[in-house]
Amino acid sequence: MSDVLLQAENVGIRFGGLQALEGLNLTVRDKELCCIIGPNGAGKSTFLNVLTGTLRPTSGSVRFLGHDIAGLPLHRIARLGIARKFQIPSVFPSLSVEDNLKVARGGAPSPARPVGELMELVALGNRAATLAGALAHGQKQWLEIGMALAIEPRLLLLDEPTAGMTPQETMATADMLLRLKGEFSIVAVEHDIRFVRALNCETLVLHQGRRLRSGPFHDIEADEMVRDVYLGRR
Amino acid sequence: MIARDRNWLLVFATCVVLAVVYPFFADGYQLTVIRDALIFGLFAASLDFFWGRTGILCFGHAAFFGIGGYIMALVTLNDAIPLGSLLGIIGAVSGAAFVAAIIGYFLFFGGIRGSYFTIVTLAMGVICQQAAVSWSSVTGGDSGLIGIPPIAFDLGGLPVDLSQDLPSYIFVAAIVAVAVLALWSISRGRWGTVLTAIQDNEVRAAALGHNAPLRLLVTFILSAAIAGLAGALYVCMAGLVAPDLSGLLLSTEVIVWVAVGGRGTLLGPVLGAIAIQRAQQTISSFNPSLWPLLLGCVFVIIVFVLPDGILSIYARLKSLFRTRRHAP
Repeated sequence: MSDVLLQAENVGIRFGGLQALEGLNLTVRDKELCCIIGPNGAGKSTFLNVLTGTLRPTSGSVRFLGHDIAGLPLHRIARLGIARKFQIPSVFPSLSVEDNLKVARGGAPSPARPVGELMELVALGNRAATLAGALAHGQKQWLEIGMALAIEPRLLLLDEPTAGMTPQETMATADMLLRLKGEFSIVAVEHDIRFVRALNCETLVLHQGRRLRSGPFHDIEADEMVRDVYLGRR
Repeated sequence: MIARDRNWLLVFATCVVLAVVYPFFADGYQLTVIRDALIFGLFAASLDFFWGRTGILCFGHAAFFGIGGYIMALVTLNDAIPLGSLLGIIGAVSGAAFVAAIIGYFLFFGGIRGSYFTIVTLAMGVICQQAAVSWSSVTGGDSGLIGIPPIAFDLGGLPVDLSQDLPSYIFVAAIVAVAVLALWSISRGRWGTVLTAIQDNEVRAAALGHNAPLRLLVTFILSAAIAGLAGALYVCMAGLVAPDLSGLLLSTEVIVWVAVGGRGTLLGPVLGAIAIQRAQQTISSFNPSLWPLLLGCVFVIIVFVLPDGILSIYARLKSLFRTRRHAP
């Protein structure tokens, strides 16, 4: 139990009359990679918002290294070691790639990885002086992953990291994450099945705010019920 | 980035040289005119330091100018206080900073940004002006306080007396140069980069571990402190303080100076303030009612034609010629 990094227990959230999430459990161990998948509206992003402490669950709890993080200010959560990549690429468009990473590194409790290495990691080594606003969509996503890495996280939460990417970029992103696996824990919310297949990790399937299945990806992929949900038969 | 820094330093150095040679060509009256314009230039730079880097407009910046002015006046007019000038300046700077800290704390940590911030600070300016009018036992009411002595202090045994035109001009020019250079080095370094990041996307900056409200607050306090310093210098040079020094009109004028000079350049607002005040004096001398009309027109034209201010003319022309040359 000592290597548990993040533990969500019986998480439920209600927006007015809508039960958005119900009875969700998730345990992320140190240096583990896992995915959360599900069709649109399944509650993936909401669950991620709860995991990062930006949304307070109406029932259940989320603990990071034993601390209740619900409702903490964003910068405090970041300093605990939780980095987050947003769904819409949110880089700083008026700053260069290098300055984006410098800003990201500035908030880190103990900066370790040099900016040059970060740029290499996310395949932007030759773009240091480019304004982030001028990058291609996929490169912005990578830059944002680089920014999340810059704070030397214990846990990296990725909200649809491959949204809007070409298949080649999607695969490159999967490679990037597989290279980083083992340095810290990664939770990726995704609905691109090819990407999740490439990562081939523990997977939680959400459907209408509830857990549908969880387990290693090859079991999930073979599951009839999951296929039905994805194809919209249920 | 490097080229931009070099250009800025080049313009700055040119301005310093001009300020140094100016006394050789100007008479006493002209010196005092430029001296007062420089003080308002410092005030404009203080607003630009906050507005230019955070994108948040403070519409009541004259409140800090006025607070600095009144504190300076009250301290130096009180014979019981020794070292009046020095303590007055310290009091003016910290008084303005203190008020900014209290107001800024509630606004920034309460999540007030953008136009809401502008509206609240607008009200703050109006309140300050009203307080200066109504609290007449201390502030002298509508007529203000007169007879404020010029700055005088002891600089390591050497008495400095700024009652003469030339010493006061040198003193003010030196303070403005040092302050603008200091503000510039803060805003181009890491502090400024993070502020730009916060301006671009505050939530993202916070998710990276930056305490955005605290950064904004500290920047606002620093900006208000410089505005307070400008206010303190001004009342000593003018010899009087009045409620309109914290009023809406001055708050609006300083915004025009910054916009005309070029927001985010720090030096532009200083030049903007000097240019506009010179123009105001020239035009008002032959037709006083023409000035507000002209100022309004110039402001609108600048906003449309040169949204980055007069300092951007060079860059604009350069890019214009470049596109011409590349055109088939």
